[in-house]
Amino acid sequence: MRLLVIEDDNALRESLCRQLVEAGFGVEQASDGKEGLYFALEYPIDLAIVDLGLPEISGLELIREVRTKGKSYPILILTARDRWQDKVDGLDAGADDYVVKPFHFEEISARINALLRRSGGWASSVLSAGPVTLDTARQQLKIEGKEIELTGYEYRIIEHLMMRAGEVISKSELTDRLYDQDFERDSNVIEVFIGRLRKKMDPDNNLKPIETLRGRGYRFALERNVAG
Amino acid sequence: MSSLSARLLGSVSLLLVFFFGMTILVLDSAFREAGEQSQEDILDGQLMALIAEAELGEDNELQMPIDLRDPRFGNLGSGLYGAVVDDNGDVVWTSRSSLGLNVSYGPRPAPGAQSFSQVELTDGTPLMALSIHVQWELPNGELKPFIFSVAQSLDSLNAQGARFRGQLFTWFAAVALIMLFSISLVMRGLLKPLRQIESEISEIEGGRRQALSDDYPDELSSVARNMNLLIGSERGRSERYRNTLDNLAHSLKTPLAAMRTILGEQRSSSLTSKTEEQIERMNDIVRYQLRKPASMHSESFGVVAIPVKGELTKLIDGLRKVYSEKQLQIDVAVAEGLLFRGDTGDFLEIAGNLLDNACKWCRTRVSICIQPLGDAGDGSDGMRLVVEDDGPGIPETARDALMQRGTRLDENQPGHGIGLAVVKDIAGSYGGDVLLSKSALGGAKITVTVNPPAGH
Repeated sequence: MRLLVIEDDNALRESLCRQLVEAGFGVEQASDGKEGLYFALEYPIDLAIVDLGLPEISGLELIREVRTKGKSYPILILTARDRWQDKVDGLDAGADDYVVKPFHFEEISARINALLRRSGGWASSVLSAGPVTLDTARQQLKIEGKEIELTGYEYRIIEHLMMRAGEVISKSELTDRLYDQDFERDSNVIEVFIGRLRKKMDPDNNLKPIETLRGRGYRFALERNVAG
Repeated sequence: MSSLSARLLGSVSLLLVFFFGMTILVLDSAFREAGEQSQEDILDGQLMALIAEAELGEDNELQMPIDLRDPRFGNLGSGLYGAVVDDNGDVVWTSRSSLGLNVSYGPRPAPGAQSFSQVELTDGTPLMALSIHVQWELPNGELKPFIFSVAQSLDSLNAQGARFRGQLFTWFAAVALIMLFSISLVMRGLLKPLRQIESEISEIEGGRRQALSDDYPDELSSVARNMNLLIGSERGRSERYRNTLDNLAHSLKTPLAAMRTILGEQRSSSLTSKTEEQIERMNDIVRYQLRKPASMHSESFGVVAIPVKGELTKLIDGLRKVYSEKQLQIDVAVAEGLLFRGDTGDFLEIAGNLLDNACKWCRTRVSICIQPLGDAGDGSDGMRLVVEDDGPGIPETARDALMQRGTRLDENQPGHGIGLAVVKDIAGSYGGDVLLSKSALGGAKITVTVNPPAGH
């Protein structure tokens, strides 16, 4: 998943981005409103983190502009002004949630995950489809109540696929999800991870949770359990 | 007298009484003089006629015809009397009209002269008398002095004068009343802009208006303009003050956020947790101290009434987004047309903190009810906000502690305690209070009252 962080304080932005990357997100950064708006409109973004007090174009204007241009990905506001007036203005402009500075990284990552899950159409933090349940808070995958041990990369891939269950996810998007400074960006790696996931989740090959669509990507094929 | 129009009407009434009084006096004396003059002329004529009708008898006695040309001389008590007296004061002739009335004709004039005098009958009837001293030439060439006198009652003249004065008073009174009435009408028109300013100022104080209108007459437009400048600078001042504080908070909190994020990268050490503690302390101080003055709502001129319903709807829409995980059922009961007389930020701070807490703690149900206090339905006498939820509620033992700043029931839910303390501060600055109790829904019930700004 690709995040956009628009924050003018360099120390905060860089540290936040490092931790987001570490947590497995692809991150674009912008240090002012103008640059931020460009990224927000031109790049494939899954979620934007916007500081309200930005130079050039204020956070509120940026959010309004993004929404006017028809972008519907979730927007999380970072604000130091912790008056309700500002929060209400931000939410009214089209943001989906807010985090008040100074925040803990755990707090912001929980909000990001919740927003991404919601934008994928999941109401609860436990994604459940058929016998498969994925607890995004605990980062736990269970099949028929039995926990499946996953590596960090495997978890990120199944989380991404399940979050957008039913949608076709391209290989490059999955590569972005695994994007990391040190990671070799080779789509063959994705195939390896998918193969391992299939083996772990479906050793008898009768559940078929992940579908391969030649030349287009992968799809999590199990029906969502509505009650979650 | 405190009212301008009462002052004006008072002084105009005094002036009118003075001028009309003088006019009445002058007119009355002129009328009286003219009346007396014409009376004298008439008497003169009567006297000449009387002399003309006198004849000398054979014994050199003066004789008057029985029927004089003016019949009033013959009618008893007719008001016209005549007499002729000789040199010795013996009465030669008296008119029939004066029979038994003992008419006196005033002092005797000197020979050849005539004299007017005002006399009275014994019953008090005023008369004007004219006597003339003539030397009657006898056939033998001897001159014999006679005094011819006529007197006429002044009753009709006085009655005329009284009628004239009566009419004069009636007309002048009517004119004075009409003048006072029209002056008060004119005053109403003239003072209308003043009354308008007064009512607009009270509207501004009540927050129903932003500034004075600009359609005042020249004399007042500069007053209105200066007033608007004053109001504007008053408003601008509190706004600037708030912005300065906000910017200060922003510039303090961003480095705090950076510190915290950077610390988060250093996997836990005792240094991290100690620094973390200090960051939290600094944050609490910044949050509480820099927000507090924002809730010190300014003097009554800074107040703009905000429609409660609109702001609340925005707030609740926002909260629904934030808490979209929970299947929230938020019941809103707000009187139509209710206005909050104060700062929008203050209202949102109160409602936002209360609703945020309620949404955080509830299972599914939150209810907010805002009612006007007093008789005024638009909230000009203050209002009461009641927020309830179906969560675990606030234990009685924790209620007092929660109102103290910085106390938190759940350390994992930042800002809970500060939220309530801020609500209490704001409500206090609006002369209201916060009350914690148990809701019928099962959870906490928080009642906040706010009063209109002082001086209104």
